[in-house]
Amino acid sequence: MFRNYLKTALRNLLRYKGFSFINIASLSIGITGCLIIGLFVWDEMQYDKFIKGGENIFRIYQQRSNSSTNSPSANTPPMLATYAQQNFPEVDFTSRLLMWNGKMLFEKGDVRSFEEKGLIADSTFFKMFPLKFISGDSKTAMNAPASIIITEELAKKYFGNTDPVNQSIQLEKESFIVKGVLAHIPEHFHLDFNYVIPMSSSGLPPERMLSWGYNQFFTYLRLKNGSDPKGLESKLKDVVIKKAAEDPDETEPPSLPVLQPLSDIHLGSANFEMDNAKRGNGSYVKGLSIIAGFVLLIACFNFINLATARSFRRAKEIGVRKVVGADRKQLIAQFTGETILLSIIAFVIAVIATMLLLPMLNSFTQKNISFNPLTNPFLGLSIFLAAIVIGMFSGIYPALVMSGFQPIKVLKGLKAGGNNSGSSATLRQVLVIVQFTLSALLIICTIIVYKQMNFLNQKDLGFNKEQIVYFSVRGDIQKNYESFKNELNRSSGVVSVTGGYGLPGDQLATDGIIVPEKNSDKNFTAIQLLVDHDYVKTMGLKIVAGRDFSRNFSTDVAEGFIINEAAVKELGFGSPVAALGQQLHWEKWIPDSINPIKKGKIIGVVKDFHVKSLHEKVGTVVMHIYPEVLVKMAVKVKSDNLPATIQHIKQTWTKFAPEFPPDYNFLDENFAAMYSAENKLSTLLWIFTLMAIFIGCMGLFSLAAFSAEQKTKEIGIRKVLGASVFNITTLLSKSFLKPVFISTLLAFPIAWWLLKNWLENYPYRVSVSWWVFALAAIAAFVIACITVGYQAIKAATTNPVKSLRTE
Amino acid sequence: MITLKNIYKWFQSGGQRNFILKDINLIIKEGEFVSIMGPSGSGKSTLLNIIGMLDLPSEGTYHFMDKSVYDLKEKHRAELYKKNIGFVFQSYHLIDELTVYENIEIPLLYQDVKKADRRAIVADMLDRFSIVGKKDLFPSQLSGGQQQLVGIVRALIARPKLLLADEPTGNLNSKQGDDIMDVFQKLNDEEGVTIIQVTHSEKNAAYGKRVIHLLDGQVQQ
Repeated sequence: MFRNYLKTALRNLLRYKGFSFINIASLSIGITGCLIIGLFVWDEMQYDKFIKGGENIFRIYQQRSNSSTNSPSANTPPMLATYAQQNFPEVDFTSRLLMWNGKMLFEKGDVRSFEEKGLIADSTFFKMFPLKFISGDSKTAMNAPASIIITEELAKKYFGNTDPVNQSIQLEKESFIVKGVLAHIPEHFHLDFNYVIPMSSSGLPPERMLSWGYNQFFTYLRLKNGSDPKGLESKLKDVVIKKAAEDPDETEPPSLPVLQPLSDIHLGSANFEMDNAKRGNGSYVKGLSIIAGFVLLIACFNFINLATARSFRRAKEIGVRKVVGADRKQLIAQFTGETILLSIIAFVIAVIATMLLLPMLNSFTQKNISFNPLTNPFLGLSIFLAAIVIGMFSGIYPALVMSGFQPIKVLKGLKAGGNNSGSSATLRQVLVIVQFTLSALLIICTIIVYKQMNFLNQKDLGFNKEQIVYFSVRGDIQKNYESFKNELNRSSGVVSVTGGYGLPGDQLATDGIIVPEKNSDKNFTAIQLLVDHDYVKTMGLKIVAGRDFSRNFSTDVAEGFIINEAAVKELGFGSPVAALGQQLHWEKWIPDSINPIKKGKIIGVVKDFHVKSLHEKVGTVVMHIYPEVLVKMAVKVKSDNLPATIQHIKQTWTKFAPEFPPDYNFLDENFAAMYSAENKLSTLLWIFTLMAIFIGCMGLFSLAAFSAEQKTKEIGIRKVLGASVFNITTLLSKSFLKPVFISTLLAFPIAWWLLKNWLENYPYRVSVSWWVFALAAIAAFVIACITVGYQAIKAATTNPVKSLRTE
Repeated sequence: MITLKNIYKWFQSGGQRNFILKDINLIIKEGEFVSIMGPSGSGKSTLLNIIGMLDLPSEGTYHFMDKSVYDLKEKHRAELYKKNIGFVFQSYHLIDELTVYENIEIPLLYQDVKKADRRAIVADMLDRFSIVGKKDLFPSQLSGGQQQLVGIVRALIARPKLLLADEPTGNLNSKQGDDIMDVFQKLNDEEGVTIIQVTHSEKNAAYGKRVIHLLDGQVQQ
């Protein structure tokens, strides 16, 4: 029996090769798309799952509620951990990381280079995250201040094949002892690092560690089994509110601590500020999963549609089988079995395609996903089951329709596609509508996401990010800052040089600024850019009122402030011109005994510029000259002869800081990195939209072919009666273009709602303009026309004598 | 074997009943060879389909082998049909994707006959009808007469007691038609298979031992 079914199925497949090809190919493409997205999504969800007891680990983040931003922020003050440990018994222990860029010069013998990705951690770090040590003792490794734990990659680089444990290594010219070597850090750990040094070696003054306001730490808590994290969270909130009330200077509501489960960190922190975790974007992962579902749905609908259409071709076979004694159950089994067979074939092709495409996915997402259903029996089995389920899901409807055919009717040659199959014709229309609605939806979303991407990439940032080289200040450069600057400026390729703390797109300091008033001072929070005389020029900022810092005014260093337009508004000055001459106070970072407070006035206002990514609104920015802090320098260079200019910068560096190798980056790279998530989303959307459209079209194409075949006789008669090719083409196309038209109309409101929500994440965004919808509608229409038109014209140009004779 | 009583079949169209069959009363005994004749639209095929349980009348009772067909459960009726009735069509209705052998085998598949038995039965039938040489050909490779012969073999493979034929020679030339009718006659004479055929041709009708004339859905006495 089974063999008879199999033979019929295979011979049918071979007999209608084109139809079978489209049927299998469209399903294969859909499944491939799904598998690829599925692998990506699955991989994204694996983060931190490998940590034992991870369900008891929580990170604290702060929900801010001040006027300039309400984004959550991952940084916390040091006392939260200390207080929680001392006062709440459900806290087993805590561990903190210092917020730090993690870049240091490593030297061991002849090997020296900058190592990025370092952590400064509490000694409990490896108790919190039990990573594998290949040498050294994880329990004691963090106990001594000048100790360091490195990964096996660093160990190989600096120590070759010898065991580094208890050997010394120079970090920024200071000696550290290696106390442990870590096995390769698992890819799915939310922290990315090459080395760890203990908090005690960070040189932070002990009183800092007692602060409730110094938000420079990432705090992790490990709770005892069965504790109530929600309860703990509200207790912590109460503490913070109480502490804030005790501080008379604080005018803004405090940021409140929230506990974030370890497993949520990777996908649940996309909008966090000041985060050091490897973050994915939960909503993009969700979005992609939905799109994967769409693509699969479109492919399945196609499958159903084609199978139903195909069933009419096999009406006679069904009639015969019924007459010779088949009952309905057997027919359902036969035809569902056939779709399962097709589905399995499609899955096999899809699995092979996925394996071939996987290296591309890995390089695109910088992941290391492996996929081999043969060596992974669980995966293989689930894919096999999925094939059967999808085959059943797609096959059951056509099987029900077919098995319900009346044998005498189909055998009499009454077309089963005639009156009695009205419901399945309607169903096919509904499925086509759903397919094209999803396709139109994808087209609209793709265009808007692409537009938004272009907008982000090309938006005027208010400063010129191009051709700016920047680097950290090291060695004796700070001591000889002015002469270093002069030396750099001697190259004709250098336009200008600036230094300080706070480059756009780099680390920024947020600090208080005080507007002194008669009765009581007003406190504000602002991004503080500590600059020199050439910052405005180097960055290409535009002065809208007042003037730039100038060496001609000797008071500028001690008293000059420049603010941005957002600050004019925030600080309540009304207009840029009115802001000029207003008093500002700032608590110095390194208080000198004479005057711990910098008192000065506003000398200029600059046009708003984007110091952070376009995901955030321009905040309040205050700039002033503070030579005591010199962390980064930026050099504006000319684009011609760039290699020579870079060479000059390197040489000058080596002259002033010979003990450090030169090290530099381009500022625009920072900005490009900010939108990599959107860029990837945009690329993926393009791919999957094309996929969905392609699958949909394949379906439409064969449905049109089927319909033309069904109407051969009608077309023949009409032609004999004098219909033109155009009449016939219109007749055939019309029935397909109507559902496409309905689909686009259905897609409009859904797309509009989705995009409105998505764009709300962006303070700077494109509008959802009507032409995008029009374009999507036209695109869907044209694609459908071409697809259907081919079949329609083919049918219309057939010689009627031939078609009538075959009847 | 077959007792039809007061069989009516009509279609409702615009408040009016269009009768296809009107008060048919018919008794056919085992071993009979009956020809049903009548002009187009007289209800011949409908009557045949009702006898063959492929169609239901609007009214009336039908006893097949002493069982009241319309009182049987669907399952039992299907069983009764499968075991006892074979159908032959004007346009043969072979499955294009299956070979002669496979086409003939299908009814046995649906009756859960074991594979070895199936092989023996089919081989025997192929032999009896001298089409062993054709067993691996597909229907499109056969002439009309050969196709109809395969159709008959398929109808007989499960050893039915009743063979129903709807214009079995309608698509054949006269030589092929005569051959088919000879086969029918032999079946009826030698094996006692009850045969009911619908036909247009006086000549073919004469092969039957009894002719029933239908006109406008009524039996002409």
